[in-house]
Amino acid sequence: MMTENKDKRDNRTQVSRRTVLKGAVALSAAAVTGGFALNLAAPGLAEAMVKKLPAKWDETWDVVIIGSGFAGLAAAAEAAGAGSKAVVLEKMPTYGGNSIINGGVYASWDSKFHYRQKLNLGDDSPKQHATDTLKGGDYYNIPELVDVMVNGAEPALNWMIDEGGAQIRETVTRAGGHTAYRTHSAVAGVGREYTEALRKIAEKRGAKMVLNSEVTWIWRKDAEPASPVLGIEVKRGRRVLNIKATKAVILASGGFSQDLKMRLAHNPRLVASFNCTNQPGSTGEMIRFAQAVGADTLQMNFIQLYPFAEPETGILDTPAVYPFNGPGYGIVYVSKEGKRFVNELERRDVCAFAQINLGAGAKPTYSIFNEAMVLKMGGSNKEVEDGIAKGRFIKAASINELADKIKIPAAALTETVSKHNQYIEEGKDPDFSKPMTKVMIPLTEGPFYAVAQWPAIHHCMGGVRIDAQAQVIDVFGKIIPGLFAAGEVAGGVHGSNRLGSNAIPDAIAFGRVAGTNAAKAKSRT
Amino acid sequence: MKKIVLLAVAVAIIALGYAVSDQDSVLAANPAKASAKAAKSSTPISCQTCHADFSSLIPENHPPVKGNELSACTACHAPELTGTIDKNAYSVRMHLAHLPPKGNVDCLVCHRWQEGKSFGLTGAKESWGAPNKEEMELMKEIFTGWAASVYMDNLHAKAGISCANCHGKELPTFDVTVENTRCLACHGPMEALVKKTEPPEFKDRNPHQSHLGDIACTVCHKAHSESKVYCLGCHQNFKMTIQGAGETKP
Repeated sequence: MMTENKDKRDNRTQVSRRTVLKGAVALSAAAVTGGFALNLAAPGLAEAMVKKLPAKWDETWDVVIIGSGFAGLAAAAEAAGAGSKAVVLEKMPTYGGNSIINGGVYASWDSKFHYRQKLNLGDDSPKQHATDTLKGGDYYNIPELVDVMVNGAEPALNWMIDEGGAQIRETVTRAGGHTAYRTHSAVAGVGREYTEALRKIAEKRGAKMVLNSEVTWIWRKDAEPASPVLGIEVKRGRRVLNIKATKAVILASGGFSQDLKMRLAHNPRLVASFNCTNQPGSTGEMIRFAQAVGADTLQMNFIQLYPFAEPETGILDTPAVYPFNGPGYGIVYVSKEGKRFVNELERRDVCAFAQINLGAGAKPTYSIFNEAMVLKMGGSNKEVEDGIAKGRFIKAASINELADKIKIPAAALTETVSKHNQYIEEGKDPDFSKPMTKVMIPLTEGPFYAVAQWPAIHHCMGGVRIDAQAQVIDVFGKIIPGLFAAGEVAGGVHGSNRLGSNAIPDAIAFGRVAGTNAAKAKSRT
Repeated sequence: MKKIVLLAVAVAIIALGYAVSDQDSVLAANPAKASAKAAKSSTPISCQTCHADFSSLIPENHPPVKGNELSACTACHAPELTGTIDKNAYSVRMHLAHLPPKGNVDCLVCHRWQEGKSFGLTGAKESWGAPNKEEMELMKEIFTGWAASVYMDNLHAKAGISCANCHGKELPTFDVTVENTRCLACHGPMEALVKKTEPPEFKDRNPHQSHLGDIACTVCHKAHSESKVYCLGCHQNFKMTIQGAGETKP
């Protein structure tokens, strides 16, 4: 915030200095009024920062996309597919951002394979998906944006399968906050399955990707509503270049979970001692640059913890996806005391704070499951084997043995498990009111497994304000011409709490919308 | 042209002060003048332009050398203009001998440079590129690092590998990177590299077989700055080290 204030002060000086140069009339006006204040609302006058527009452009593209994750690649694919010259700029030396390392879970009411129907897992619809998403976000979500996600999820999934060669596992799971079995798992077990598919489609259609390219400014002449975004400034190696976007700039740069200062500024509770699942590049500067050229933001304080990260480092490795995918099939979360502490089908914020509220010294908690659940919950035997070798999964023939191995009281764990088995049979959970289903598997037959878990900072629900066309909206509610945003950088889709497996459909559905609309934008050559 | 010559003279005179201290016994009376003369007259520069006693520079067991011009050297020590791997290349030997810590001679004592137009050897026609002032500064900086840094460039220098071996025939410009195929020409094939760094315990924690897909060698291995294990950005508990990480880092 300090720097932003400083920018404003600098700008004030700059505006008055420039005015002085214009001539005597302006000079006297400046003397009388004591200089102009920064006023983003004054057409033609306001300038957001002490920066001169570039005199020449080093590169020119139709559509410039910032970020190479799900949203950026989907946008690039659509923009290039519509005939635009599109470039994806990635500041990191590798592509894919958080997307390539995410858990690969994808919420969609259906897919071309219709696994939910084939496996008799009940009904679903885009509308039901929207209802769950709104409820899970405490109705802070912008409903029009939710519609784009739930309606775009299924066609986007099929698109990646058909055109990009993405593969999904033959199951769907019911994850926390969802009322239907709609979470699809990638064969790769991580988001790379989809980033690779999208990259393939984008490159096939002629989009280009440039790594090691850190955007350092968004060029816009002023904040007049008709004033478009012109391009961006980018640091590439030792050089600073200016890149012109004749049609549009698309922000697809993700969230700010790794920027401690920005995180604390919006949510002081998320202190430095929390781990973070994100790659180091998730630092949110594009949101600040967008704000500096007039963009509105919303709900920046809604930052999600992934409840089941690897406790030591906070990474979301393959075993860390199991606790998330397991509840629909009967996985049980227990504390170090061997007791349940939450309805496992609860949303992420509830599951995360149920652990944090156990108090100091409660880290880690455990997910308990058995062999029969593995494939159903989108897991694989190979993953379990590898996880055991690394000490991430603990395997035992009996619940007693498991308790001993993870050093929790055996009697307590046995009691917890047998009670939960009984709840499955009775279809009722009097302890935490979990909505029990017929497909849940009781923990009666081994081998049994445990995986340690603890919350880590994961996803920013807030961000730049967009409309259903992925156009960025300014602080006065006007569309900023030539500026789009998609994915985690944009806010309002998930409300106060994103349901697990909604991130990928959000990013890809909006990425496609942004890319399609950017390509349609009027060219300013 | 006149300007360039003057610049060369000026730089060479400044360089002289340093050069003398190190190798005064073999230096001619006034190498700067000699170099300037060579530049002016387009006479190819030779070792004797600066070193009066040329023969004493050559190692004892070195075969006899005929002639006073550079071709006397380059006949055996290829000038490395093709970008192929030659560990005893002329460029490696000459640059290491004249850059710190062994020497401290300015580029323009031996090289001629017309800003943004050409760059080559004093007295020779061939130009290898057209570096501007910025690029010239960068080349100096990087050459100095290559000769004496704690990074991977110096590891290569010690092994007799110079610019062209990684960058190819053209003078490297600002935005260039080294493609994996260049690295693998010596360090490959990739399968061998993967095998070499396969952790005994967990095979999937192999830095050369990343879950991030086909990534550039330069993600971790930086020639002219600190090399870093990219994996550690997230996997903080992995025990991994890398060469060229600098003196202070493990």
